[in-house]
Amino acid sequence: MSNEEKRPTMIDLARVSKTFPPDTHALDDVSLRIRQGEMIFLTGQSGAGKTTLLRLLCAIDIPDKGYIEIAGQDLSRATDTELQNLRRRIGVAYQDFKLLPDKTVAQNIAYSMEVSYRSRQFIRSQTEKLLTELHLLDKMDAPAGCLSRGEQQRVAIARAAANEPELILADEPTGNLDAETTELVMQLFHRYNEQGATLLVATHDHSIYDYPGSKIIKIENGRLAIQKPVGTGRKAETRA
Amino acid sequence: MMNFLLAVFSQTWRSITETWRSQLLSLITITLSVLIFTFFYLVYVNTLQLGNRLDNDLRLIVYLDEQPDQALQQEYRRKIEKFEVERITFVSKLEAYDRFKAQLKESDDVLKDVPKDFLPSSIEIYPRRSLHSLAQLKDFSDYLAKLPGVLKVQYGREWVERFYSFVQLLRVVVLLSGTLLILTTTFMIGHSIRLTVFSRKRELELLRLVGASNSYIRVPFFLEGALLGAFGSTAGLSALYLLFRWIQGNFAAQAAQSMFAFSFFSASTLLAIIVLSTLLCAGGSFVSIRKILSI
Repeated sequence: MSNEEKRPTMIDLARVSKTFPPDTHALDDVSLRIRQGEMIFLTGQSGAGKTTLLRLLCAIDIPDKGYIEIAGQDLSRATDTELQNLRRRIGVAYQDFKLLPDKTVAQNIAYSMEVSYRSRQFIRSQTEKLLTELHLLDKMDAPAGCLSRGEQQRVAIARAAANEPELILADEPTGNLDAETTELVMQLFHRYNEQGATLLVATHDHSIYDYPGSKIIKIENGRLAIQKPVGTGRKAETRA
Repeated sequence: MMNFLLAVFSQTWRSITETWRSQLLSLITITLSVLIFTFFYLVYVNTLQLGNRLDNDLRLIVYLDEQPDQALQQEYRRKIEKFEVERITFVSKLEAYDRFKAQLKESDDVLKDVPKDFLPSSIEIYPRRSLHSLAQLKDFSDYLAKLPGVLKVQYGREWVERFYSFVQLLRVVVLLSGTLLILTTTFMIGHSIRLTVFSRKRELELLRLVGASNSYIRVPFFLEGALLGAFGSTAGLSALYLLFRWIQGNFAAQAAQSMFAFSFFSASTLLAIIVLSTLLCAGGSFVSIRKILSI
């Protein structure tokens, strides 16, 4: 057994299916295991099922069939409190950002830390640190609704990372970014990954795959198609 | 715990500042409801106090056709003491004359040619407090009227009946205004919470997504309700106090002459009203948020 295989499982999907009415099969019999500390890029065409998979992982939707376990927690059996505790350990950067336009950038980021009852000092310093890293410090007190799409996207990423989560799920995190800011975001993700966080990034952007130790999972028509390591090649496992 | 409280208080403050218009409307409604209820309650309490003062002076006068001798007095006493009475006084014809003369003061010369035994002898009965209900007094009076040698029993029956009817009416008004207070408060709190939830819909959705606990979402609404209740009832009671002072200032002279001295609520009653209003609003808010957000 390799060192990688000894690591605990962070995400475990077994034969998960999800159909949207009337008969759109978003996910079809998907099985996947991702271990703690892995960095996975989830690729595929629009409508392939990437966003559905992320929504199932953060328990916004529930699967029609199959089993999902995150950090040892079976989502189908989780109580409200268990689900809330789990969500505090997961940072999610949504495709539609889910920012509150009339709140400032700092307030938007603070939400993910406030619900974990972090101290004011921690919230302040973490917000400043992330905004500095993403070149947004000067926008800290600006309403999120006044920012450009690219800036909003970076705020959403900062919020996902702010509470130092064990798992970061990012849906098209660089879709509105230029090459330079994409690089900033990827450096941030990489830093978190090096500190032990597991990352699952759904993306179309081929330029961000090239990170050593990360791997690619491709989804086609709701099914897992290709899984391959990038760089040094940690391995995402799939079950038959 | 400290961080929880800080987070919850900051959430509450944020919510109040963002939805202050609907909160203000609720505050005014609660203030008015408390004012209406406490106004009638104050009148009721003062009327009861007046009733107590009158009760202290309450006596039944039994007029007799003849002056009773010692044996008959003993017989009367024995029969009357079957009821709960505090004191029994026999007033002879002569004593009645002397009292009347004393009441006339300088005008007592009108009695110059009047025989000293022209007034009937009587028995003054002071009933115990336990006998003060109107029905009991009626029964007692009827019993006394049937005793041998009794001409008439007097206790200001008509006045007492009216007074008790007024107290009954006030009791109904207090109960109705109390019910009104509960209904308006619950309705307004529910309405206010609904508006707040609607205006913060996206924020509440986000809070759930980032893993906010039920208490993190619920407690600020609960606190909002409690604050509305506390401030609303305090404002209502302050308005009532101003009204009370105005009445005292304008009608003090008349009130002093009459036996009806108006008094305000005691500190403990004020505190009880504020605490009850606060609990009522907090409870209403708690129920609403559970219903609306299903948490």
